Amino acid sequence: MKVAAQEEGRLVARALRGSWRREPSGTNLSEQELARVIPALVGSGASALAWRNVGRSPLKATKAALELQQAYRMQTLRAAMHERDVERLFTLLNSAGVDAVLIKGWAAERAYTEPGLRHAGDIDLCVRPEQYAAAKEILSSPEGRRFHVDLHEGFRDVLERDVEDIYARTEVLTLGRAFVRVLSAEDHLRLLCVHTLRHGAWRPLWLCDVAAAMEARGREFDWERLLGRDRRRANWVACALGLAEHLLGADVEGTPIASAANVPRWLVASVLMRWARPYAMEQPPFNHRAPMRTYLHSPRGLLGDLRNRWPGPVEATIAVGAKFNKLPRWPFQLANCAARAARFVSAGSA
Amino acid sequence: MAERTVPANPLARVDGVVVRELPDEVLIYDLDTHKAVCLNSTAAEVWRLCDGRRTASDIRKMLEKSAKGAVPEELVWLALEQLDKDKLLVERVSRPAALVGVSRREMIRKVGLGAAIALPVVVSLIAPTAAQAGGSGCVATGGACNVGGDCCSNSCLNNVCA
Repeated sequence: MKVAAQEEGRLVARALRGSWRREPSGTNLSEQELARVIPALVGSGASALAWRNVGRSPLKATKAALELQQAYRMQTLRAAMHERDVERLFTLLNSAGVDAVLIKGWAAERAYTEPGLRHAGDIDLCVRPEQYAAAKEILSSPEGRRFHVDLHEGFRDVLERDVEDIYARTEVLTLGRAFVRVLSAEDHLRLLCVHTLRHGAWRPLWLCDVAAAMEARGREFDWERLLGRDRRRANWVACALGLAEHLLGADVEGTPIASAANVPRWLVASVLMRWARPYAMEQPPFNHRAPMRTYLHSPRGLLGDLRNRWPGPVEATIAVGAKFNKLPRWPFQLANCAARAARFVSAGSA
Repeated sequence: MAERTVPANPLARVDGVVVRELPDEVLIYDLDTHKAVCLNSTAAEVWRLCDGRRTASDIRKMLEKSAKGAVPEELVWLALEQLDKDKLLVERVSRPAALVGVSRREMIRKVGLGAAIALPVVVSLIAPTAAQAGGSGCVATGGACNVGGDCCSNSCLNNVCA
């Protein structure tokens, strides 16, 4: 079953290989193989990228391909609306003097050769801690409520660096009437790498983001800044980039990133299995049947739900702050489980 | 359908629509009706030429110029009527007297025989869902989501599928 799932995931990888490039390479999937992975591509928001490959292949007139084309068109329009929302939101924030940094979403889309290839839902913003309350107030005003924003206080959830150090390297872009602040290429790629692994890389689009951002880097790109001084986190970033090379054909030539040969085999296998069913509803916490508290009253179904809560090897590695290497992952998974259980118990007794 | 009497100097709607131009087609999302349509290159060209001053005849001449060949006026009317139907024009348009009573099928036949460019096509867009495509992986309306791609509707608002 694991082998079959990995095979399915490999088909998804083949459908997306190099798709973010100006001249995508097309695909060598058969018509049947493409039809098999359509649900995964559409259901995970990767259909527009897949269409870029499939639309340049002999499969472009098949039924499956036409579904991808239709999804690509819709996504192109949604991206246009998302961009409009980003402009309006930043116009609002600019006028209120809130200096926010846009991460992921539209900021990640800039690395792609065509708008609309990268679907975005919410707008992710980071603000300095001292501006958090002001930003929250604006977002809860009638004007601000129109936007779907995920607001972060500082960068602690997404980057482990000093706020002012991050701000000093940001870039301000003009979008219509708005000024949009985005992270430096190095900080953003680092964020994309760690974010992808923190969530077990279950969404193929995230690894495409990593590949596209790496290949779109400028000549001045600071690899030392990307990798940072912390060797463990440098290992995470290098692994995400190696994974992008191994699964999607990202070009790492001439970079200090070690080749994909150094990406542990278990990591590749784990990601491919996730790509076989890259649907939000099958990922934690959406696949949890009920909050753990409810099992204190009635333990029925607890065993099944504990299985859903068993952490994936990739997430567990990040959660316990370990390195990606050839060592078995179960000790980290166990440690992560124990830490979560302890948190649950202490929250219950508080 | 009753013929209309508004003079035909069609004006393309630019308010309340989001437009994205692709190499061979134009995509338009109507923010009022929440409908999305795709215009092929001919329909898109007619739509772009609708500036509120040009008549259908002027538009035909412009098309002939760019196509370097004959373009029957029926073709322009076929496009205008489709654009009108999808509310992509500011005011509704009316056919000239000579075309009143001519069926759409007849117009298509005539255009197909003599035009130097493709027939205008305006199609509604409906995003395929993972479920339609044979899976059951997308989240239905009201379900929890992270990003639009999680939802069958492809629209995730406040972590809930729209």
